[in-house]
Amino acid sequence: MHKTLPGLSRRDALKFAGAVGVAGVVTVYPGRRVFAASDRSLDLAVERTRITIDGETSNAISIGGSIPAPTLRWREGQEVVIHVTNRLDEGTSIHWHGLLLEGVMDGAPGFNNYRPIGPGETYTYRFKLRQAGTYWYHSHSASQEQEGMYGAIVIEPAGRDPVRADRDYVVLLSDHTPENPENVLRKLKVSEGYYNNNRRTLVDFFQDAKRDGLGATINDRLAWGEMRMDATDLADVTGYQFLVNGKGPLDNWTAVYNPGERVRLRIINGSAMSIFDVRIPGLPMTVVSADGQNVVPVKVDEFRFGVGETYDVIVMPTEDKPFTFFAESIDRTGFARATIATREGMEGEIPEQRPRAILTMADMAMAPGMDHGSMAGMDHGSMAGMDHGNMPGMDHSAMPGMDHGSMQGMDHGSMQGMDHSNMPGMDHSAMPGMSHGAAGSKDQAVGWADAGTPPGAKALSYADLKALVRNKDLREPTHEIEVQLTGMMSRYIWTLNGQKFDEGASIRVAYGDRVRIRFVNTTMMAHPMHLHGMFVELENGQTDRMPKKHVVLVPPGQVTTVQLTADEPGEWPFHCHLLYHMASGMMTRFIVEPHTASL
Amino acid sequence: MAGAILLALSVVPAWAAEEHSAEQFHEEPPILGTLLIDRFEHRWRDGENSIDWDVQGWVGGDTNKVWFNAEGSKPVDGDVEEAEFQLLYSRMTSEFWDAQIGIRHDVRPQPQTTYGVIGFQGVAPYFFDVTAQLFVSEDGDFSARLEAEYDLLITQKLILQPVAEVNVSAQRVQELHIGPGFNDIELGLRLRYEVVREFAPYIGVNWERKLGETADIARDHGEDPSDLSLVAGVRFWF
Amino acid sequence: MRLSTHTLGAVAALITSTGLLVSPGLAFAAPGEAGHKHDTAAIGEPAKATPKTRTIQITMGDNFYEPETIPVKAGETVRFVIKNTGEFLHEFNIGTTAMHAAHQKEMAMMVDHGMLSATGVDVKKMKMDHSTMPGMGHSMKHDDPNSVLVEPGQTKELVWKFTKPATLEFACNMPGHYESGMVGKVNFQR
Repeated sequence: MHKTLPGLSRRDALKFAGAVGVAGVVTVYPGRRVFAASDRSLDLAVERTRITIDGETSNAISIGGSIPAPTLRWREGQEVVIHVTNRLDEGTSIHWHGLLLEGVMDGAPGFNNYRPIGPGETYTYRFKLRQAGTYWYHSHSASQEQEGMYGAIVIEPAGRDPVRADRDYVVLLSDHTPENPENVLRKLKVSEGYYNNNRRTLVDFFQDAKRDGLGATINDRLAWGEMRMDATDLADVTGYQFLVNGKGPLDNWTAVYNPGERVRLRIINGSAMSIFDVRIPGLPMTVVSADGQNVVPVKVDEFRFGVGETYDVIVMPTEDKPFTFFAESIDRTGFARATIATREGMEGEIPEQRPRAILTMADMAMAPGMDHGSMAGMDHGSMAGMDHGNMPGMDHSAMPGMDHGSMQGMDHGSMQGMDHSNMPGMDHSAMPGMSHGAAGSKDQAVGWADAGTPPGAKALSYADLKALVRNKDLREPTHEIEVQLTGMMSRYIWTLNGQKFDEGASIRVAYGDRVRIRFVNTTMMAHPMHLHGMFVELENGQTDRMPKKHVVLVPPGQVTTVQLTADEPGEWPFHCHLLYHMASGMMTRFIVEPHTASL
Repeated sequence: MAGAILLALSVVPAWAAEEHSAEQFHEEPPILGTLLIDRFEHRWRDGENSIDWDVQGWVGGDTNKVWFNAEGSKPVDGDVEEAEFQLLYSRMTSEFWDAQIGIRHDVRPQPQTTYGVIGFQGVAPYFFDVTAQLFVSEDGDFSARLEAEYDLLITQKLILQPVAEVNVSAQRVQELHIGPGFNDIELGLRLRYEVVREFAPYIGVNWERKLGETADIARDHGEDPSDLSLVAGVRFWF
Repeated sequence: MRLSTHTLGAVAALITSTGLLVSPGLAFAAPGEAGHKHDTAAIGEPAKATPKTRTIQITMGDNFYEPETIPVKAGETVRFVIKNTGEFLHEFNIGTTAMHAAHQKEMAMMVDHGMLSATGVDVKKMKMDHSTMPGMGHSMKHDDPNSVLVEPGQTKELVWKFTKPATLEFACNMPGHYESGMVGKVNFQR
């Protein structure tokens, strides 16, 4: 049923795009198939293939014959029918990430009565599009997503799009490893830190001692050693090639513009494991949409990009020159690169990579039984108004040399689940043994959140996101669900509330309930938490314009809260979108029960 | 509201009809395994040079594992002098510790001896890899062993590993030439270069000292209770 | 204290009016632009409506205009009736791309200083003399003749004479709105 456009040149493609202008601009990549908006039924085959990235060829799995899979361009209100044929010798599935649909169409095996598509089988998805925006689709079986099973979904609104652009491009980021993903997981489990080639060494020790002083450096190493944690553990897996629309940095995917045009970039983080810092040096980005949902436009120079999230940005290059789209993984082991240029073949300058952050004790703030005893000389002087209200198992007993002098109004009452998220003016720089010596300097970023943003540049923060359309359900949540993000890094076991998926209890809410979910990140890693089937509203300081998200990136040692109206009955996967975290247990069932009993 | 109820009802059979299990999703947690040849080395010393080995491996899941240990020594030009094997059931008891129980069988020295083993293995604060084991032999003799090692990263690939081991016995075991109390202490220092994570050649020194009555017994047999050797070997794993 | 503020303000205003102090913001204006006191001659001029004046209805949404193209003739005077059906404050400003770019910086500053919020105008703050603010070398008021701010639910009028053909846009320069496409074209017809 779908139209294929074989061998379409870019020029032709643009003409074609012009011809179907009413249905929105269609972006056509050379050699890529595109499903125009009028196509409501399409066939997608899943098959093993080989992918060549920057000249290196490795194994992969494609949907619809390409990696990434074809961009699906639809229109809100349409009913779409997709026949997915499995040509693998194992079960597969396709999950429509961010789409509101009936559970069985969600495509997560083991949930909502959906079963994997067996080898040789065809499964027909059929659903009505109840929303507009940028989304994506990917396999929800084993680690197939890591091997290339991902593609973009663009849904034009039924009414007027509040965003106008002259060009519209999908920018799908991903990470590709030539290794077999099952092997990756095995190595993570049998050899802690296997992929970390930036562990702290004796050489680092002497450098730090020179900078911070010997005593402080020893204290720092002792503090980490006591917890058996690694301050350099930013990403679990390395050896990745970082891709933009399936192209490596050398392949250099290019988006073409004419000076003065508005270019909409629909940026999707389809990585298995990689959180990025994204920027386009010289070109500010106006964020107009987050996770497919329109937001009040906000102009930024860069943003941190959790796995599974999407941001639509507008850029307006006025000069005739190439700009580099640059997305560095937060462990700085590499970058995805593309070019925004007035014609193909241009190359912009590739910026210098930013320093990798060293984690601090603040990133461990939620760790159970965190012993502050080792924080010798910690200055709590500026922690006024800090709420120690809920700190489980914290041992303050052995904090020599602590200055509690001006800790006014502190409540240490019953410490469980301490919230460090809003400690205005807390001075971490006065915590020796925290490797803060050169905070903000060029050669050392300190703490997970330090992206190395230069002074004067604006990095997007969740607090900047404001829904363009007012929230519909303004009821106060009636109850709170605490979801502790937990794990054992040394064993590579990742859990929710301390329980693996196969041993954990489901979360149950009644249909129509308004609830608050409180993520407490007890680990040292950021977790992009993804709920299927429903948007959550991020509590970011907005009252009636909380941004709607399908993935919420919860930083290490932080508490993040969201609200939710449980208006989609079903049994939804609720998990960390880091693939190997999910595979090792960081998932649960979020069950919205029909309210039948009480009626 | 009615519509909502209708919707709710219509969805019930779709998801509530059966009890689900995780089996449809990611397959059961996979059974994994690894085998580490921690030390396979040549030892040069004043007396007879030897080949020594220390191997460990496991098969299992996150919580339950079958654990295997082997260590031994063989003079370059002679028969195996020491060969110990352990087969243990290992169970995760906390984030950093496994409790272990099983059997140990020493093929050498003669007479061959079988022990029951109970112990724990894991990572102590400050990243010390620790193994502590209590043995009871088929004759009812009690002994214990404590082993600790540490990886000091000089660079990402150059790693200095100090090792310490001490053996204790509750009683004299005549045929094995050990006395009560501390039997021996062993200290090693090995510098390895990880060509890849899985393969690292190394050089180092190893020093063993028999203690107390065990040392006396050694002297009575004309042995030097102290043994210093230079070592070179490879560490590799699968 | 009060006196000194007044005095400073007066001095600053004097400096500004004599043009001795040049706003750093103006450095961004395209050559030929006269900065805040726009040289409106190139883009047309404010006018008075007569019964014969053509009326064009403009609807503002979040964040867009309807229609997005206005046909005019050189020399024509047009009465714009601008209705804001959205939930945010919007501007209707006639100018060149470069003028809009310069004005966006000023608007961003007004938002930063609380004179404008996402939804409305703080009349009190707007009337204050902001000349002493760093980076604002002139009395900051949103009183350009080629522009009108329309709060949510409001309807306002702007009468403009398009004296001669030029490449003009009508735009909202509230932060982010222009970038996300709240801009339309003025089409000069023969």
